[in-house]
Amino acid sequence: MPDSHPLPTTATVRVQRFNPDNDKKPRIQEFKVPLTADTTILDALHYIKAELDGSLTFRRSCRHAICGSCAMNVNGRNMLVCKTPLTRELDQQARVTIKPLPYLPIIKDLVVDRSSFWEQYQRVKPWLIPPDNVPEKEFRVSPEEVEALHNAETCIMCGACYSACQVIAMTKEYIGPHALLKAFLRVLDPRDAAPGERLADLDGGDGVYRCHTIFNCIDACPKNLNPTQAIETLRKLAQKRQAYEVERAERQKTLTQPVK
Amino acid sequence: MYKSTGFISFVLRRFTGVALVLYLFMHILVIGSATQGAAAFDATLKVVQGPLFKIMEIALIAAVAYHAFDGVRLLIVHYFNVIDYRKSMFYAAFAVAAFFTAIGGVLILQALLYHA
Amino acid sequence: MRIFQMQRISAIALLVFLGIHMAVMHYPPWEIDFRTVVIERLSSPIWKVIDIAFLFFVLMHALTGAYVVLTDIQRVNTYKRVLAGAAIVLGIAGFIYGTATIMAFQPPV
Ligand code: FES
Repeated sequence: MPDSHPLPTTATVRVQRFNPDNDKKPRIQEFKVPLTADTTILDALHYIKAELDGSLTFRRSCRHAICGSCAMNVNGRNMLVCKTPLTRELDQQARVTIKPLPYLPIIKDLVVDRSSFWEQYQRVKPWLIPPDNVPEKEFRVSPEEVEALHNAETCIMCGACYSACQVIAMTKEYIGPHALLKAFLRVLDPRDAAPGERLADLDGGDGVYRCHTIFNCIDACPKNLNPTQAIETLRKLAQKRQAYEVERAERQKTLTQPVK
Repeated sequence: MYKSTGFISFVLRRFTGVALVLYLFMHILVIGSATQGAAAFDATLKVVQGPLFKIMEIALIAAVAYHAFDGVRLLIVHYFNVIDYRKSMFYAAFAVAAFFTAIGGVLILQALLYHA
Repeated sequence: MRIFQMQRISAIALLVFLGIHMAVMHYPPWEIDFRTVVIERLSSPIWKVIDIAFLFFVLMHALTGAYVVLTDIQRVNTYKRVLAGAAIVLGIAGFIYGTATIMAFQPPV
């Protein structure tokens, strides 16, 4: 921050509260928290819980952007609060509004029910289905093949994209960007033995064609991943599913040999 | 609501799409008066070519133009890897649609004033 | 899925046909009657073919679009078979009526 605007010493954090025992509707509560240049939004929530109101409920675990517990909606954007500096989100009056992830049932305060998120994740069989010829030592995958997976690999399952998706807002039957990205990772992995089976499910009514390229998932992702492009790729692969299966079977014959 | 350019384009696309479906069926019914002969057709057309309908047609042009150019934008997104330019492409589609609407609108208004 | 492909194909077709339609039917002073349609604008029989193709694609695009918009809503999606049936019926009815209309533009003998 430039020197002409000295940092205010306190920030107003507006938190959406909801206690299912007493409240009919969520309400906004304001807290004043001390502010320094390196306060994160999660620090502010911790301060509120420790010093001001111990009943404030939120999820967090790792505090360094890898567990994916702390995704919340700050000023209308989904993000990880543990890696977001509070100063970045403050408005002119040094205020910030924190809400739970949208479009999901609220359990309490900032904690949402993510069952549908995990159900869809399970549905795409997120694990690797290995081929029959599992090598004694290692699979040999070319650098290009690894590179192609890079977009999907670093997902931390925080749910920011899922809950930003306008289609998810309308129907929970849609597989969702997170699970489609995971499916993309498995479909493109040369070690996976069942890309055809996977594509067949993604090709159905709840799969890739429900995506209407709204791009909210890209904007929301704290890891800068690109679910939309993954879905576009899956659409193309789903159209030539049989050929892709044959190609994969062919590739797997040489999967244990050194890459030329 | 999770607001973004993508969200706005999505809502506009759906809204214009549904409006155009309704318009399409009205259009088919109106032009269908031709099956009752030339006189019936001319009588119906006289009604729907009145000034009020002319003004509403400007909204129709806007809806068609937006829906069409947003569709072109989507086709480009589908078949080329241009996701990095998603925001500028949305503005481009919007600008082109606005341009066509303006031309159509001016021509319609001109014809209206000229005839009046 | 097939609906998605139908939408893209009809969308591309519409870009062409709607362009033609606007150029041929809608220009200043925006006044037409039966005579102008038949004599000035649709005189050659090739227009009937073009118009019937246009009608086909526009119905396809409209009905698949409406179907997708509706079935994207979870509660409505329960009735997707009913909706698909309704769309097919509407499509066939619209196509028959529209074709009859196009054929009705005959020069008086
Ligand atoms: S607390 Fe683990 S990602 Fe934020």
